[in-house]
Amino acid sequence: MSTATSTPTGTGSESGRKPTHKYAQPSKRGRMQQRWLPWAFLAPTIVGMGIFTLLPIVASIALAFFRWDIISAPTFVGFDNFAEVVQDPTVRVSFLNTIVFVIVAVALQLGLALGLAIMVQEKLPAWLRVFFRSAFFFPLILSAASVSIFMRYLFNEQFGVVNWLLSIVGIPAVPWLTTPTGSAAVVILVYVWQNFGFSFLLFIGGLASIPVETYEAASIDGATGWRKHWFVTLPLLSPTTLVASVMAIINALQVFDQPYVLTRGGPGDSTRTAVMVIFESAFQRLEFGQASAIGVILTLIIMAITAAQFRLSKRFVFYQ
Amino acid sequence: MSGTNGALREFTRRSALTALGAGIVGVTAASWPRLTGADIPGRGDNSLSIAIMGTAADAEARQKVIDAFAKVHPEIKVKVQAIQAVDWKDFFTKILTMVAAGTPPDVVYVATEGAQLFAEKLAHPLDEYLRRDADHMREYFEDVHPSLVEAFMYKGSLFQLPIDWNAANMYYNTTALTKAGLERPSDNWTHTDFRSTLAAMKKANPKDFTPYYWTNRLFGGVVPWLYANDTSFLKETKSPGGEWLWDGFYANDPSRSLRSGGYQWLEPNADDPRVFESFDYLRGLVKDGLGVRPEEGGGNSLIGLFASNRIGTTPAGGYWVQGLHEAGMTENDFDVQFFPKWRTQRHQFGTAGYAIMKTAKDKDAAWEWVKFSSSREAMQIVFPTPNTTPARRSMANQQLYAGTGPRNWKVFYDTLDRFPTTGPIPAPPQQASVETALMKNVSLAVSGDERQLKDALSSMQRDLELALRRQP
Amino acid sequence: MTTIQERVTTTAPVVKRKKRDWSVAIRVVVLLIASVFVLGPVLWTLSTSLRPPSESFQLPPAFLPLNPDLTSYEQVFKQLNIVALVVNSALVTGLIAVGQMITAALAGYAFAHLKFRGRGALFSIVLATMMVPAQVTIVPVFMLIRGVGLSDTLLALIIPAIPTAFGTFLMRQYFMGLPGELAEAAAIDGASPWRTFRSVYAPLAMPGLAIVGILAFNFHWNEFFRPLIMTISEQNFTLPLGLVSLQGNLGTGSISVVLAGVVLSMIPALVVFMFGQRALQDGLTAGTGK
Repeated sequence: MSTATSTPTGTGSESGRKPTHKYAQPSKRGRMQQRWLPWAFLAPTIVGMGIFTLLPIVASIALAFFRWDIISAPTFVGFDNFAEVVQDPTVRVSFLNTIVFVIVAVALQLGLALGLAIMVQEKLPAWLRVFFRSAFFFPLILSAASVSIFMRYLFNEQFGVVNWLLSIVGIPAVPWLTTPTGSAAVVILVYVWQNFGFSFLLFIGGLASIPVETYEAASIDGATGWRKHWFVTLPLLSPTTLVASVMAIINALQVFDQPYVLTRGGPGDSTRTAVMVIFESAFQRLEFGQASAIGVILTLIIMAITAAQFRLSKRFVFYQ
Repeated sequence: MSGTNGALREFTRRSALTALGAGIVGVTAASWPRLTGADIPGRGDNSLSIAIMGTAADAEARQKVIDAFAKVHPEIKVKVQAIQAVDWKDFFTKILTMVAAGTPPDVVYVATEGAQLFAEKLAHPLDEYLRRDADHMREYFEDVHPSLVEAFMYKGSLFQLPIDWNAANMYYNTTALTKAGLERPSDNWTHTDFRSTLAAMKKANPKDFTPYYWTNRLFGGVVPWLYANDTSFLKETKSPGGEWLWDGFYANDPSRSLRSGGYQWLEPNADDPRVFESFDYLRGLVKDGLGVRPEEGGGNSLIGLFASNRIGTTPAGGYWVQGLHEAGMTENDFDVQFFPKWRTQRHQFGTAGYAIMKTAKDKDAAWEWVKFSSSREAMQIVFPTPNTTPARRSMANQQLYAGTGPRNWKVFYDTLDRFPTTGPIPAPPQQASVETALMKNVSLAVSGDERQLKDALSSMQRDLELALRRQP
Repeated sequence: MTTIQERVTTTAPVVKRKKRDWSVAIRVVVLLIASVFVLGPVLWTLSTSLRPPSESFQLPPAFLPLNPDLTSYEQVFKQLNIVALVVNSALVTGLIAVGQMITAALAGYAFAHLKFRGRGALFSIVLATMMVPAQVTIVPVFMLIRGVGLSDTLLALIIPAIPTAFGTFLMRQYFMGLPGELAEAAAIDGASPWRTFRSVYAPLAMPGLAIVGILAFNFHWNEFFRPLIMTISEQNFTLPLGLVSLQGNLGTGSISVVLAGVVLSMIPALVVFMFGQRALQDGLTAGTGK
């Protein structure tokens, strides 16, 4: 897989970059086959998604106009849910938190992943390289819930190992999970700890497919060290960076497991995220209509941000 | 690719793939019963389904009760479903999911947190059954304190029979206390005495020791302090009715005059000066390093910390005893005392019992189960170890606490007798959002200055108003 | 294939070689420090699970338990029906992974190499489904499952998860990296399009499929939210749900037991990870020799 050299998404145009089949014998049978064949291949995925994703989305949008507590029958309330939700201070704060979270966490995640990937891909004994790759990917095989469980102990203000380590270098005990800023920091750190391995892997793939000859040419032109990275690596890596950042942002916008297990959204609303509010509206306040309304708003935001990224990508991403 | 080699490779590849495919199909076919849940016993038959919160081990423990029940009622088939949840909120979410799935249980073990939600929307009142079987039930009510029963009254009807309960008493670590040169605090120690105790403990114990460890929860967080100060974060009123029960079963009880048709929490009370006072006291403890800044919920680290003498005191109920015992503590290492007194010594408790669902097809059978599980025989089977406090006074006895301590186990049930105004945690039908509104603001309230406390309490008042806005 | 460094060092003076060794050393140190941060918490979890609860919060933390105490692990087995949980998780994750590999391969190939009208738009729609949080669709899916009578079954977890947007995306990437000439060659040989796919492209896509399989395994083995809502009977619980119950009511569960449960749940994922490592590395760096 060479992510660095292929178009990351279908841009809809048959720009002929990758030649498609032209069957040698365009017989009538062949042409008929040609027409329904793609659909045969696509059927499981398309039908499955239609039933289990698209249909529920439509249902969810419809549900947003009703009040429903799952026990009694739904009642139609028009736009009331949307009005209430948009004015609800908890919902607003949660969305704000989510945006801030995404900015900080994704920046950290991508920065770390990129930096470490570059370091790992440069000259290293093979066994060390394998070790580092495995180590950095490791947190991904753990469940977010498990991770949050033991991270809670590590960040305990009185008895956690993190504060103990800080105390060795003279830093007083940080109130990690008991203050708003501390909690937000923990959620971000735990999330990045768990997820950077994925971006790291994508970057490794991207870096691996940059041909050595390009570096040779660059070094002949005098680009070494960080100049090499700035002028050669980063531009060539930009398609991968786009994929990595789109995925990272889409994921971060939907963060739920870590704040839910670590802090339940507290203290106050400091670590309450958009998806948490959806969950709480539905399953704790039994307001399934409002939950759907919030969900619709969040999905629209995610789509808008992703579309914006692709817009921007036209300026910053270089394809070969 | 040479001729024969290629064909051979092709052949082995294809047979390997076919074998793999066959294997996958085979596994799927073989595990079909598991995949469709057809191997779950009692599925789809019309046995009485009982939902409890707990693990598979808890369900097995209930099996003995089922066997005993079968002896009395061989015609009623029963199956117990253990639903695992971190706290009661999650448990009720699961129950609601089952209702939504069209497979609701017939009987649910409900705690105070969900009592009014169930009473309002899901449960069937026990009144007619109690009236019918009054003679049989008299013995039960004589053995159970009326405070527990009143907690399950709602608008004049009773919806559950208390089976187990826990008040928030104060546990202390004997080692830490002795190090500070102190003796067991007296029964009516005040909140000022408590503070001095904490200060003394802090002085005498190592640096990483915490005198008062508490967590931010509905049970055992700030609420015991609010109750001791004769206030609460919701305005507490009582609904009329219930005479049929009180006159029928508790006519001679000394606290008869206090009883009603059930608690009601309709309005927020976070702007009450006494609420401010209580929070300020806790804030002072935190500021002076006598108490921790609370974690949100959980409390998992608690037993380990307490057992290693890193904590001096913490609020907890009878449910803690078994855990401490398993962590290696003996009756020389810890003990329990009443919660400190302020304006009153009103304690806060939570309790639980079985509720019959409105959707139950055979309510008579469900009642037989509820009745049977309130019998001494059934309760004895279910509570062999002190991992909670039994609702029956006669069962909270020397025998139960013999192997584990605490020495002053009498404190548990005496809490109800000595302080008959002791009440349940505030849990209206909107309990989930009320609890969230409370917990959200507690941490901010106790970890800053007075200004921050005021702001946190107004925020709490506002959040509570929103939570209680929609009356069921 | 020689690397730049190798080519250059054969002609560069000794001084440059020392400088390069220094920079390698610095990098290794930085990477090692990063590894400590990454693996440290896991090691702490492992070592704490091997100690009794009263020692859990000892500071300085003893990373190497001198007397490993397996009682916590015994407790986990006592409190949970581990075998049932693992069987459920294995069935669900395994069937989802297989299902995803098949559907992603088919769909990815179609998007990459088959020409049809609306291809681009359809692909965008497929990708767009990744932007809808599971919490939004869970209730309608739940009602759907209930409608077909599959409430509270493992199939309820498996079937909706078989179509995969991300997997399709990955396989499309992968197939696009394979030259189209192969198809033309196959067509000249008289192969039908299906044949072309089955015999020519699919075998070459194994590394990509391995990635889809491994990532699918990872994600669904550890999945918490969907099983939380979709499964009700404890006989249907998957491993993450079982672990949560170790925390006990009101948090009275012992911390060492909880951590022991966490460690146990890591093991199958670790095994797959180790086997899949190779495939992952190959898949990512296919044809680049690094």
